[in-house]
Amino acid sequence: MNDFSETASRQPAIALAGVNVSLGRGTARVHILKDISLQIDQGEAVGLLGPSGSGKSTLLMVMAGLERPDTGRVTVAGTDIVGLDEDALARFRGRHVGIVFQSFHLIPTMTALENVAVPLELAGAPDAFARAARELAAVGLENRAGHYPAELSGGEQQRVAIARALAPNPAILVADEPTGNLDEATGRSIIDLLFTSRAERGATLVLVTHDATLAARCGRIVRMRSGRIETPLAQGASA
Amino acid sequence: MTSLATELVRSGAPAAPRLLALRLAARELRGGLRGFGTFVACIALGVMAVAGVGSFSRSLSDGLAREGRAILGGDVAFSLVHREIGPEERAFLEARGLVAVSATMRAMARAKSGAALVELKAVDGAYPLYGTLRLEPAGPPAAVLAEKEGAFGAAAESALLARLGLRVGDRIEVGRMSLEIRAAVDGEPDKLASGLGFGPRLLVSLEALRASGLLQPGSLVRWHYKLQLASGAASDRAVQAVAAEARAAFPHAGWEVRTRANASPRLERDIERFMQFLTLVGLTALLVGGVGVANAVRSHLDRKREAIATLKALGASGATVVRVYLVQALALAVFGTGIGLAAGAALPFLVAKAADAVIPLPIAPSLYPLELAIAAGYGILTALAFALWPLGRAHDIPVAALFRDAVAPEPRWPRRRYILAAALAVATLAALAILFAFDRRIAAVFVVGAAAVLAGLQVIALAIMRAAARSPRARSTIVRLAVANIHRPGALTPAVVLSLGLGLALLVTVALIDGNLRRQFAATLPARAPAFYFLDLQQDEAKRFETFIAARAPQATLERVPMLRGRIVAVKGVPAERLRPSSDAAWVLQSDRGLTYADRLPEGSRVVSGEWWPAGYDGPPLVSLERRIAAGLGVAVGDSVTVNVLGRDMTAQIANLRAVDWQSLGINFVLVFSPNAFRGAPHTTIATLTYPDGGDETRELSLIKALAESFPAVTVVRVREALEAVGKLVENLLVAVRSASLLSVLAAILVLGGALGASHRHRVYEAVILKTLGATRGQLLAAYGLEYLLLGLVTAIFGMLMGSLAAWYVVAEIMNLRFVWLPGAALAAASAAVALTVVFGLSGTLTALSQKAAPVLRHR
Repeated sequence: MNDFSETASRQPAIALAGVNVSLGRGTARVHILKDISLQIDQGEAVGLLGPSGSGKSTLLMVMAGLERPDTGRVTVAGTDIVGLDEDALARFRGRHVGIVFQSFHLIPTMTALENVAVPLELAGAPDAFARAARELAAVGLENRAGHYPAELSGGEQQRVAIARALAPNPAILVADEPTGNLDEATGRSIIDLLFTSRAERGATLVLVTHDATLAARCGRIVRMRSGRIETPLAQGASA
Repeated sequence: MTSLATELVRSGAPAAPRLLALRLAARELRGGLRGFGTFVACIALGVMAVAGVGSFSRSLSDGLAREGRAILGGDVAFSLVHREIGPEERAFLEARGLVAVSATMRAMARAKSGAALVELKAVDGAYPLYGTLRLEPAGPPAAVLAEKEGAFGAAAESALLARLGLRVGDRIEVGRMSLEIRAAVDGEPDKLASGLGFGPRLLVSLEALRASGLLQPGSLVRWHYKLQLASGAASDRAVQAVAAEARAAFPHAGWEVRTRANASPRLERDIERFMQFLTLVGLTALLVGGVGVANAVRSHLDRKREAIATLKALGASGATVVRVYLVQALALAVFGTGIGLAAGAALPFLVAKAADAVIPLPIAPSLYPLELAIAAGYGILTALAFALWPLGRAHDIPVAALFRDAVAPEPRWPRRRYILAAALAVATLAALAILFAFDRRIAAVFVVGAAAVLAGLQVIALAIMRAAARSPRARSTIVRLAVANIHRPGALTPAVVLSLGLGLALLVTVALIDGNLRRQFAATLPARAPAFYFLDLQQDEAKRFETFIAARAPQATLERVPMLRGRIVAVKGVPAERLRPSSDAAWVLQSDRGLTYADRLPEGSRVVSGEWWPAGYDGPPLVSLERRIAAGLGVAVGDSVTVNVLGRDMTAQIANLRAVDWQSLGINFVLVFSPNAFRGAPHTTIATLTYPDGGDETRELSLIKALAESFPAVTVVRVREALEAVGKLVENLLVAVRSASLLSVLAAILVLGGALGASHRHRVYEAVILKTLGATRGQLLAAYGLEYLLLGLVTAIFGMLMGSLAAWYVVAEIMNLRFVWLPGAALAAASAAVALTVVFGLSGTLTALSQKAAPVLRHR
């Protein structure tokens, strides 16, 4: 299923070694991630669990190449992403990493279909819109293709976001509290959709959540507290 | 926001809703003017332009009135063409005060180094009655100009000294007299009243003029009699009374009577007309600013959607919400207006200080409350006219906005009361603009034109968005993104098209008017324009003159036309003083005019009504009239016109009306009579000389020198120099036009910057998401750059079209000149506008691109 699986065989999907991240300036500077080392295998589903402010979202941002560590090495899909410049990082992300946000982050001025097609277009896919339409149908929104985000419900917006994240068939899927802005029933259906799609494509999943039940659906749980990993090897139930 | 809501709850809205609105508005404004810089600056710029032009205009007309006596050179002035006053008229004047006599004419001054056209002024011992003649070296005028050791004295403007390489003490010849230059003229008190000169001033005594042989019958000499009333009898009423008595006592004197109250009516009219033009340019700045106001209000309300929805959730009515934001808009408008008024009121003081040495205009800087009040009215009304519409929309912002993040407020019409209020503000604005205008027709055309341009640009913006939405999906992602950004909800298109379109239309208008006027007076003369005009050629010299020219310039064509001076005394039997001509025809009645007679239709004319008389016609006298003048006088073919020539009244029937192409620069007259009308009357000849190849400097200058020696009494006007003199004046006026337009263009740039800036927040967010999805900075830059380029290009085309249309109207319809579309000027303005849009847009985008993704994503 994965377009890029040959290049990445045998290697861990994500490897972090001695990662430190501080944010803010001067006295307001906060050490958010403290000496994090973590390895996630291909096809693995990992739940990052921890209280608010523990650094789990920042860790996810580091893995997605959206935040640069002060020190340490980050290897994703066999590429050391710390050494990449901004544009190379953007291209890398476009091909290898799909991201789902808590607040959806759809582009408000684009229709659902256009939102899904954007990463494919940016990667130069000639059949971007056909593929986007298929992805939208896969999340059950083929009838909403021409709607703008403001015209969609929260659950629908998150489905569009998932379709967008999956569209380029990324090796790695990261999701930051994907059900945080949704009611329970909708949240459950979104999580089902996320896990089913990941299983079908064999993608690696990293899921940030503070919900232990949700984290338990992942193959492995990584607990975080005050910027450190508490139980790096704790095993949960399989997806 | 929270404090607003709390206040609303605490105050109990129904008790004092108005005061509440005021309090809430004040509380919000306490946070500073962030986001309102464009609003305030736009109003300030526009008000400054209108207040500045108004104050300057008043200071100038006040100055003219205050200095009227010096400008006129007396309390009352009488001037006549051709003849001196008779003993009865002289007795009348001398009985009422001290009289100073002077004569002015054009003549040729000759020196060893060459010859030059001069504006000769001969004065008597009483000159000047008022003001001071500044001479260098200084001395009493009578003594400087007196005859000494066989030579009369003269004082010349330094331009003449420079042109002929003369110094004080050198000799020049004018006509048959030899003059010694005794001083340079540094300042002439009554120069303004004498109008535009084609050559430098040469001042001599009346005795010298009489000895020069220049005073021939028919010479174009103007006699001036300036009267200083006895000091006890010089009240304004006495002055008017003397003028009226003179008109009554000598109804057929043919003299132009002016008093110190209207020392230079023509100059005053020209100033008013010009100032009106500048006021319209200033109003354009306000109009452009209005678009900025609308943009600012719209994006402010967009930011405040949540706050407004919260207020409504807490019980505020739609009207209360509108009041809160209307109070804010008004407060900002008053603030901007205040800044504009301060700057505008300072303008006359600044100009008076800076231009003291440059322009000899009597500026009397002061604070002019009426002009400032008008400008303030324009400022507040503009803000209201443009803010009410978007404000009205706030009435219906749904509380549901709290729960759903809308793309942009749907383009819904505000309620009828807001539409009516906005319409009322617009109508008042238009009415003021027309009411206070010098020429209401032009002001009305401006108002209609401005409305058409605004509406047109709105339609164009919609059309662009629709075309972009319907265009086939481009293959390239970058092009697709760019095109999509043009038509999406919340797109920049309307804001950019309006501000850039208006600014560019104005820029193109000014550039084209500028270019056309320059072209008119610069080196590009019509292909067959004459090189010279010869004036005051006497009948007995004509033959010798022709032979001389044939020998000196055999290849050139000499055209001669007889000329007489005469005054229209009646039209259709109605005396001239009782006629009510239109403003553009009044001048033909004011004093003596040049007349001619001809057998054939003059070149550069065509008959538009009636028929030309047959060759050798010998019936009752006929006359041909220029069509615009005929319309202004209200006459048609078959009506009669009576002229007084050399003291004799002569009535002729209008045989035809002519359209005259004045720009061919050939000889043409308003009145052309059938040859039998003036058979036997003494006349001079006016002639033109045209070189087949257009002539050149060396040939022309050597001909002037030779002519001045052989025909000292013939005045030679070199067309190139005359046009240069007019061109210099036009150049100065253009500086003022350009400065006023600069304000409008500045306002347009501000508005454009404001519009692009308002979209910055959306842009940053969009760019960050796109980067998250794999977009490189290059791709984003290309997409945004292309968007701005497409928008700029399309708008530029329409702006250019509208500007060209406006320029055509001003040049062809108002100035009555030939309009030529100058692609260079128009394209330069358009390219500048496109470049500006792309640079402005991208400079904002660059900061969006360098934004780190994580913080933006975290905070949304």
